[in-house]
Amino acid sequence: MSASATENVYLPNVAVLDRVVTEIPEVKTFYWHFEDAAAQKRFRKFRPGQFAEVSLFGTGEFPTSLPPSPTEDETFFTVRKVGSCTNALHELKPGDKFAVRGPYGNGFPMHEYYGRNLVFVAGGIGLIPLRSAIVYALKNRDKYRRIQIFHGAKTPGELMYVPDLGEWGKSPGVECYLTVDRADKNWTGNVGVVGSLFKKPGVQVPVESTIAFVCGPPIMFRFVIKDLLAMGFRERHIVSTLERYMKCGVGKCGHCCIGVAYVCVDGPVFTYEQIQRLGEDI
Amino acid sequence: MAHTLTTCMFCGVGCGVYLETSGNRVVGAYPSVSHPANQGRICLRGWHVHEVADSQDRLKAPLIKKKGKLQEVSWDEAFGFIAQRLSEIRQQHGPDSIAFLNSPRCSNEESYLFQKFARSVIGTNNVHHGTGVYSNNSINVLSEMIGVPASTNSIRELDSAEAIIVDGVDLVRRMPTLAGAVIRARVNGAKLIVVGTRRHRVAENADIFVQIRPNTEAMLYGAMAKIIVDRGLMNLGFIRQRCADYEPFLAELQYYDLLTTAEVCGAAPELIEKAALAYAAAKSAALLYSTSMEERSKDSIRAVVNLALLTGNLGKKGSGVFALTEQNNLQGVCDMGMLPDRLPGYQLVSDPGARARFEKIWGTKLPASAGSGARTVFSGNGVNKVKALWLLRYDPISTAFRDVASSLRRYEFIVVQHLFMTESAQHADVILPTSAFGEEQVSFTSTERRIQLAEKVVDPPAGLTPAWDQIGHIARLMGAQWEYGSAAEVMDEICEAVPLYGGANYANLAREYGRQWPCTKDRPLGTPFLFEENGNGHRFHFAAVSKPAGTTLPKEFPQILVFGHSLYYWNLNVLIRHSETLRREYRALWLDYPDGFVEINDEDAKRLGIRDGQKIRLSAASGSATAPARVTAEVMPGTVYIPYFMHELERQVFRAAPNDSNLVAGRIEKEAA
Amino acid sequence: MKGRILDRGDVLKIVDLLRADGYEVIAPFHGRGRDTFFDKVTDENRSRLEIHLPNPYYPPKRYVFPHIERLLKVHKSNGDLRIEPTCYRPKRALFGIRSCDVAGIYHLDRFFLGKEFADIYYEDRRKNLFLVNVVCTDTQRDIGEECFCVCTDTGPAARDHFDLQLMDLGEEFMVVAGTSAGEALLSNPLFRKGTEAHIEKRRQILDAVRKRFKPDTTSWFTATVRYVSQEKVLEKTWEEIGKRCVECGGCTYVCPACTCFTVSDRQAGPNEIERVRTWDACALGGFTRMAGGFNPRRAVHDRRNRRFFRKLAHYFIQRELSMACVGCGRCAAVCHGDIGMPSVVEMIRKATEEVAPNERVSH
Repeated sequence: MSASATENVYLPNVAVLDRVVTEIPEVKTFYWHFEDAAAQKRFRKFRPGQFAEVSLFGTGEFPTSLPPSPTEDETFFTVRKVGSCTNALHELKPGDKFAVRGPYGNGFPMHEYYGRNLVFVAGGIGLIPLRSAIVYALKNRDKYRRIQIFHGAKTPGELMYVPDLGEWGKSPGVECYLTVDRADKNWTGNVGVVGSLFKKPGVQVPVESTIAFVCGPPIMFRFVIKDLLAMGFRERHIVSTLERYMKCGVGKCGHCCIGVAYVCVDGPVFTYEQIQRLGEDI
Repeated sequence: MAHTLTTCMFCGVGCGVYLETSGNRVVGAYPSVSHPANQGRICLRGWHVHEVADSQDRLKAPLIKKKGKLQEVSWDEAFGFIAQRLSEIRQQHGPDSIAFLNSPRCSNEESYLFQKFARSVIGTNNVHHGTGVYSNNSINVLSEMIGVPASTNSIRELDSAEAIIVDGVDLVRRMPTLAGAVIRARVNGAKLIVVGTRRHRVAENADIFVQIRPNTEAMLYGAMAKIIVDRGLMNLGFIRQRCADYEPFLAELQYYDLLTTAEVCGAAPELIEKAALAYAAAKSAALLYSTSMEERSKDSIRAVVNLALLTGNLGKKGSGVFALTEQNNLQGVCDMGMLPDRLPGYQLVSDPGARARFEKIWGTKLPASAGSGARTVFSGNGVNKVKALWLLRYDPISTAFRDVASSLRRYEFIVVQHLFMTESAQHADVILPTSAFGEEQVSFTSTERRIQLAEKVVDPPAGLTPAWDQIGHIARLMGAQWEYGSAAEVMDEICEAVPLYGGANYANLAREYGRQWPCTKDRPLGTPFLFEENGNGHRFHFAAVSKPAGTTLPKEFPQILVFGHSLYYWNLNVLIRHSETLRREYRALWLDYPDGFVEINDEDAKRLGIRDGQKIRLSAASGSATAPARVTAEVMPGTVYIPYFMHELERQVFRAAPNDSNLVAGRIEKEAA
Repeated sequence: MKGRILDRGDVLKIVDLLRADGYEVIAPFHGRGRDTFFDKVTDENRSRLEIHLPNPYYPPKRYVFPHIERLLKVHKSNGDLRIEPTCYRPKRALFGIRSCDVAGIYHLDRFFLGKEFADIYYEDRRKNLFLVNVVCTDTQRDIGEECFCVCTDTGPAARDHFDLQLMDLGEEFMVVAGTSAGEALLSNPLFRKGTEAHIEKRRQILDAVRKRFKPDTTSWFTATVRYVSQEKVLEKTWEEIGKRCVECGGCTYVCPACTCFTVSDRQAGPNEIERVRTWDACALGGFTRMAGGFNPRRAVHDRRNRRFFRKLAHYFIQRELSMACVGCGRCAAVCHGDIGMPSVVEMIRKATEEVAPNERVSH
């Protein structure tokens, strides 16, 4: 077999699971590394907002966002159990092998946002795809102006990355606001949808020269967008990541095509302006 | 690489497909442009038939249950064990303690030998195809009225029908290629009348959609006949020349009236009138109904045939009655006598002359009393009487019977022949894996009476043989003198035994696209539509159908719960799991509704404040149960559709009450979270 | 491009030359009735080769993009995974491929090779594929009821993207080389130089063949492309089209320019799994359904119109640099509900012009 110049984009590399951390019910974080060090090095060039394809052989392959920032040492996924592949991943134990290919997608253009305020708005597991950008921004703190993080969940027990949130909130010049739909007896914070945080006394969301990152369930997404637009945000200054059924991750299989865009290669990061033009349910 | 024309194995349309092979694997499938049934089209299942045929995940060695566990054994041990146990059980409990059930997807050859084995080697008429418990009604009514229990015309002739009535069956889900033929006929100008409870895809294409309450067809067709007679639109020439019993039919007809019918059926009287006039006005009209899986009263079928006789829509191209057999070989399986009361070719077992003919061909004495059908075999009494069960490619748990799994635990001895380890096979004492579609040459008979070959394109996995061959092997072990070197030789015997198949030897079947029976020795090219010969030949009989009593629903149970059998048949079928696309498309329902579902109309849901996926309570006089609601405009307002796989719900609703009818008055309400 | 002339009796010798050169030659053969299919030429079937016959419905795209294709084999042992990619690089020639299908393969080339990521499985099959195009000149046998290549500007004679093109001039064939590989073949003494008269004859035949197609369709097609691109097609029209769809997937499977696929794992042995890709279809309900149940295209007409949008909208034509419809007519022949491309073009044109009569194109 002669060596081909074309890389086999469908060929994943074997990965080893290191440890598993339960985040919230049904959602776990999987820390892993590639068996092959060269593959690890290539993969580590990923950007915030990109995604990878994970193979559980015998079950299939699924796309998942990359929550770590390239500035962090560890590589991991945070995955909710929703179908057969994610179930299979949830069943793995440390030392078990699976396979990964990627990174794929456009990612957030973090350098284009230099000098701006960053507002992150995440509903529930919508914080997963934003985590990378948040950590990246904190690591490059001098490149950005104000940073605000708004995160809401149904209950206090469903808030994502709670230890991280604690740490981020302590960083200088970072404001972190949390809310839940239903409080429990220990919850002393805000109760209400994420958007309700914008109007809280003491909260002042900068609109001029600000990029808003919004991720979360469809209904939360629609309401937050409405709030942001009412506050004066431009559609092109709101960014999100889209999820679609996807088989290849490299713009070939056709499943993720919305309107004229392939979510896997043209996205998954889109501005709200672009999303509107795609013309499909979000 | 090679391309072979064969017959698709999924539904009763019997599409011609080519299988492409590379080495010993099937790598592609596509429709034949020239095949008269599908003319270049196939459905999603057909486009993926090669994946199913190429499935590597098969049973590959015979298994015997030892100490409660199925273990691989040699073929000789498996065959010997079956012969020995069947002999013992027959000795101890008599021949009628053994029952033989197959799937309507079995070939003609294996069905023929299976019932021959039961009747001539064991000595019982306990033979039945398990799926179509209601098809007997259709067979009996058509035999009485027109003398032939099958569709009278060819699918291709729908092109030349001026009006088409589609009654009940959701063709897009069940027989998509036929749905296409109907839709195209409509596009080309035919009047499409859809009658039935569900607003399915074909109904959306209809010129006239008469949405009626379940099981009110007899009333509707009676009223339509009355309109036709009152306006003098009947075909008197045809009636006088070719039909008998017109007077008694008319005598009953006078009691029908449009307004009561409209009320009972729940359809607008103008719509019923319009449908009647459109059907009567057509120079050629086709009427399609499904024979197999849903409960269908004899009267409702009589009413269908009456309508066709009244308008002279028989014996002409494009006008006839299509008694649809939904599975690929339901027609053939019935033709081959997999019926407890009929021998091959539909002769009654109670007829001494018919028995004598078969006794001569088979060289043994035959039992004279009708056997037990599938429904009886699985009922409480049946289980007590029947000690041993042989299931040929049949998985009753995944089909329409309630509580089959618990019945299966009670038989002394179960033989299963199948490709896969089905749920029913788990209960077997012996499993014989068989060769599959594409690995054996056999024949199927489609819903247009087309007997055609399914070809061998690859070799089966080592050791696997066709089911008919395995049956023959066991027959020989039990002392029968059976020598069949090939399926073609089995067909040669069928040609002798079944006059309708007289000329259907393999050489003839291979020449074009199979042959439509009657394919007799002196008419070897077959018969695209029946009763072409005029006047003196055939005599049809009207059937007097008394006006059904309209039922009123009790106030506390204002909805009709419909326990359906057919609609989601393919979704659970074992074959579907062997193609990624089919699995995805058919499994989506289970992913969306992991706890199952019952279907309710969208307007009803709105009125009751029920959202899609929300849990609702269903109550009837006999009991109640909860289930997630699937809200859809397909279901008629006031009805609730319960798919057959909701066994637990069915059990709770009926409790001890027998569910002989598929309908029960009930009530739905929002279940408190 | 270099052109040569060949005696009619010698035309099938091209197949022999290719076979002698080590090519596996694929050509169309007659099946039952009007059925035809592409199959490998062998010593046994060589005598049954024909030049003029109906274009097979099962498209030649499967020689570069198979109906089902293994991507990987995975061996599991003691918790270890060994992943073995499938490598298949045949030296193959497609003899008798029609102009529409040549355009189809060109479209697939653009899609699978000409973008951010190249598809190595496609590339392996494509690299040594030699295309011998036959121009459709026999109006009875070559051109079907449903053909509309004149509308998509892909036929009856392909202008490029073939290695060799054969055109029937009666007693002789004109042979044109489109690549250096094709030219190399023309050095064989079978071929001789042509004259002006041959070129004139070619022109006359093509003019006559073009008249075989319905005259109005070309402008309708252009108008429909515009309506679809500008989203002027009414929801009602899409619904009308959608309700005639039985969701068989056939139109995409037979389409020379459809590229969608799905990927699945299946057990190939006790410790062996194969990952395969199979053709997929955007008309199917599961195509966009996500784990968890969300489906952005739940209604059948949303899925149905997707196909036509993907094929006819300007954005995609620009993006792929070629239109994803090559006018072969297979989708029309295979469609249960008569909503193949020609019918849809007609339905859209009619419905849209009723609403906006001033949109009518003049010609």
